[in-house]
Amino acid sequence: MSTLKIENLHVEVGDKEILKGLNLEVKTGEVHAIMGPNGNGKSTLLSTIMGHPKYIVTQGSITLDDQDVLAMSVDERARAGLFLGMQYPQEIPGITNSDFLRAAINAKRDEPISLFKFIRMLDKNIEELGMDENLAHRYLNEGFSGGEKKRNEILQMKLLQPRFALLDEIDSGLDVDALRVVAEAINSMRSDDFGCIMVSHYERMFELVKPTHVHVLVQGQIVMSGGYELVEKIDQDGYEWVKELGYEWEQNERQPIILEACGKKESLK
Amino acid sequence: MTKEQLLNQIKPMIDLTTDHQPYYMILSSSFPMESHLPQDVSYQDHVLKFRNQNPMTFYIIYDGKDELSLHIHFEAYTQVDLIEVKTLDVKACLHKTMTLDEGAQVHVFSENLSHSASSHEDVYLQSYAQCQYGYSELSDDSFEGIYHFYLDGVEARAQVRTAILSKNQENKHYEILIQHNQPMTYGQMDNYGVVKDSGKLVIDGIGTITKGQHGSAAHQTNKIMVFDEACHACANPYLYIDDYDVQASHAAAVGKMDEEHLYYLQSRGLTKKQAMQLITYGYLMPVVEVIDNEMIKKHFENSLSKVGA
Repeated sequence: MSTLKIENLHVEVGDKEILKGLNLEVKTGEVHAIMGPNGNGKSTLLSTIMGHPKYIVTQGSITLDDQDVLAMSVDERARAGLFLGMQYPQEIPGITNSDFLRAAINAKRDEPISLFKFIRMLDKNIEELGMDENLAHRYLNEGFSGGEKKRNEILQMKLLQPRFALLDEIDSGLDVDALRVVAEAINSMRSDDFGCIMVSHYERMFELVKPTHVHVLVQGQIVMSGGYELVEKIDQDGYEWVKELGYEWEQNERQPIILEACGKKESLK
Repeated sequence: MTKEQLLNQIKPMIDLTTDHQPYYMILSSSFPMESHLPQDVSYQDHVLKFRNQNPMTFYIIYDGKDELSLHIHFEAYTQVDLIEVKTLDVKACLHKTMTLDEGAQVHVFSENLSHSASSHEDVYLQSYAQCQYGYSELSDDSFEGIYHFYLDGVEARAQVRTAILSKNQENKHYEILIQHNQPMTYGQMDNYGVVKDSGKLVIDGIGTITKGQHGSAAHQTNKIMVFDEACHACANPYLYIDDYDVQASHAAAVGKMDEEHLYYLQSRGLTKKQAMQLITYGYLMPVVEVIDNEMIKKHFENSLSKVGA
């Protein structure tokens, strides 16, 4: 059994503190749901665990069993068994999915996987996830629909078999059929050797993938933990009742901006 | 270089299981023209002429110390996959012209292994002729390449891709022009460069549609990725459009490798170096897509190892 332990985590982006002393412990065999209003730090938590350079940890610790996760580079964290299914997966032209997936699988192995074994494994998973047969030859996420990108994240999770998967709104952009397929895939991973932290706004996702623990994240802290009944309450009543318990937060209605070619050009200046 | 050494340069690109006795030509300033030509291909007075009825693959090696010139003429409706290797010596200059007659279809993969030299190439396309040209410019020295394409017949199409690496103290300059001289012509160029160390690279992409060439389309993308602070890179797109009823687009970018791309690949367990290699590879690899040939793909993949990261 493995344990991912987060203690008193403080994280800044730019000059703004987003996580303010967050504590969470996840063991393999458990599925933790993180819910909370927009802009309160759910994605920040997952990205920080994975090691995105934008998120600066100012205090606290993250450990995976005895290993200090914060001391590891992003790729070391991945090889240690952490996986982040991203909310906005990157599109990378020129790299085919199969080249990328093979490189990712080989990164965790001493001996490279044989081509035959890789293709068999890939085909099987592509079929199970109901994905485009040509996916292997297409460029990584380029021109993929929102749903295809999310399925591709799940495909990577299945091929890489992490100890802990962090799934950031993996249900957004999925239609009902795709949602069921993705949920089945996550459920098929559930075992005593697999733990999961899922961020989602929707009860439907948690209905299909029943969490063992549910947390409400507000203002950079986990303010409440419980079981599935919390999902139902939030689905019915929203988050207003949390305010009655003495927590306040700013409404954040800003939509995320996806930077495409022109934004990229700006960022290169 | 000797004849044998030159032939060794093309060997990795020949599928010897199917192509036992490949057709080739070596144009060298060190020894008389050396070739193995089929009946329907001839060479006389610096003119290489294709009049083949069936599709064929042909190899040309340009090896020279000073001036070299060649005109290649593809007769109407010929189909040729041409694989070129340039091993020009310091200060050598290749002057090459190509004419594609009506309906000719020519796919070229051109590998540059030259020293500090230059090449001036003009390609003329008649009606309905199609040319796909991939320039692999990974040579280990400075170079100047002037590659011009003239669409001189209706519905002629030219698609040009370049993959350029400039490293150490190399100074490279490429000018790629597609000029539309007839209506309903199509030109697309995708020029991709990588600059490392103190390398210098200038890419000028030029799309010209002259007056009266309605229904034509001129598209171009020029991108350069820089790795180090001492790099010097310029991507200059030019569009000269003198007709209203046309489509035209251009894009140019010079920048560092996308940090988010690196993070994404690293989050799947690839080391930073592996991730950089994969991104660079993906960036330059499309140049081989001009020609449907697995051997060339593998060969180019191998040559990319020197790009490193």
